[in-house]
Amino acid sequence: MSKIGPLSEIVRGAVRSGDTVFVGGFGQAVPFAIGFEIIRQRIGDLVLCRTGADILVDMLIAAGCARRVVIGWIGNPGLGLAHAFNRAVAAGRLEFEETSNFGLLLRLLAARLGVPYLPTRSLLGGDMPQHLPTLKQVKCPFTGETLAAVSALTPDVAILHAQRSDEHGNIQAWGILGDTVEGVLASKCVIATVEEIVSSKEIARQPDRTIVPGHRVDAVALVPFGAYPSYCQDYYGRDDDFYRRYDAIARKEESLTAWLAENVHALPDWTKYLAHVGPARLEDMIDAAGPDARAHQVMRS
Amino acid sequence: MTLSADQRMAVNAGRMLTRFKTCFVGIGAPSLAAALAQRLLSPSIALIYESGAIGARPDRMPLSTGSPCVADGASVIGSMLDVFGELQAGRIEVGLLAGAQVDCHGNLNSTVIGDYAHPRLRLPGSGGALDIALLANEILILMPHEPRRFVSRVDFITSPGHGGVDRAALKLGRGPTAIVTEKARFDFVSGTAVLAAVFEDVTPDEALDGFPPEFGRADHIETIPLPTREETDILKAIPPA
Repeated sequence: MSKIGPLSEIVRGAVRSGDTVFVGGFGQAVPFAIGFEIIRQRIGDLVLCRTGADILVDMLIAAGCARRVVIGWIGNPGLGLAHAFNRAVAAGRLEFEETSNFGLLLRLLAARLGVPYLPTRSLLGGDMPQHLPTLKQVKCPFTGETLAAVSALTPDVAILHAQRSDEHGNIQAWGILGDTVEGVLASKCVIATVEEIVSSKEIARQPDRTIVPGHRVDAVALVPFGAYPSYCQDYYGRDDDFYRRYDAIARKEESLTAWLAENVHALPDWTKYLAHVGPARLEDMIDAAGPDARAHQVMRS
Repeated sequence: MTLSADQRMAVNAGRMLTRFKTCFVGIGAPSLAAALAQRLLSPSIALIYESGAIGARPDRMPLSTGSPCVADGASVIGSMLDVFGELQAGRIEVGLLAGAQVDCHGNLNSTVIGDYAHPRLRLPGSGGALDIALLANEILILMPHEPRRFVSRVDFITSPGHGGVDRAALKLGRGPTAIVTEKARFDFVSGTAVLAAVFEDVTPDEALDGFPPEFGRADHIETIPLPTREETDILKAIPPA
């Protein structure tokens, strides 16, 4: 049976209030379309986790979707602070657990491997460990060395964006993925948006590009530009200017609330949001990604 | 042509990278220093970003460690696990770190300004900084000469320097070996930063201006040659983020 469905339905079916959600993407392939749909459906009380949390997580916090975040870093990459996160924490509306990127990656990897914890040489100094309930010092049973142990973190659902999938949910992604594969394979349920649906024969032509096998994937939606304003290698470039504008928008709660109302709640779906962004802007992003990106867009049109 | 503080820091730090084959790089001043080194004195240095890129050759300054220019031209795009795995195994020689505050032991703060529970300002946090600070063979700290950044006591130790952690017993990296600013270089002597070298156009007093007294001064202070024409041209040609 095909796992392909409309975005609104796959989000409604997979993401429930109270869930722990792993947010995929690292610089590339941040799942903005799925995040916007979560905001639109006003799903609340979520625990969001990812190593380097960028502005999508800040938007989800601003929209009131998150009760807690588990992060290695949160901000607007290269530009500054996560303004909505900072306001929510200061107001006592949001719990958070911060660790290092490697520390959080290892928590996800432990869940992926099905073990209760993993040891590391990191996290053995500084002020952060004393604030981390998910970390303990252990002695290696073989060498007697002191190590830090981090507990497994098993997300209820992973959301990700990728280049392509077949109808069985065999998801192929390439380019920079950061912690995406570990986080996705740690999760109990996986939903994705993709730039293209291709045949299973096409998937089998390059199986080394499959990052998660179909049997681990619950549902996939075909959503071109689903990672905009982040990027998708060989499809479109990163809209750095939007990230700059977001810094200005997010500085004040009222302007961010108004932005979310206009760009998410007032629009029925992602297609309408892309129309709101404007075709000229998207064309620029395709050009920024090089000739392969143009060829992909021509092939699927 | 005058260089910005970041560009002079890049010259200062970039010249120090000739000893290394592998370098863990972050966003901002570290990326610029690494880019200069790669273009001039250390063409074969492997630049490693936490996003998973190894042997990166960004043609402009990235906003994110996962930006397209970090991926384009890289020798390997692995995962975050690949690069932190190499780091933990002690196979990355140097890490370049920046932060909001540094003390004389090379402790870095990128977490909060003020009290942790009720900060005046909450910053983006560690990211990979704590991991790099503990696990790279050694650390170079890049910090612009702004007195509020050089403090007697950092508000929060995000990335430990010397003194608080028994690095040898825990089999960690050696920790910070230098702090570079746009004016000077501080070396660590018995775990404490001492002014060791100043650019030709800076006096030792200027290099320490506004710093707390814990930052020491070596008996003999070397002179750092001014940025060359070649360094200046290369830096001016690198598009900003």
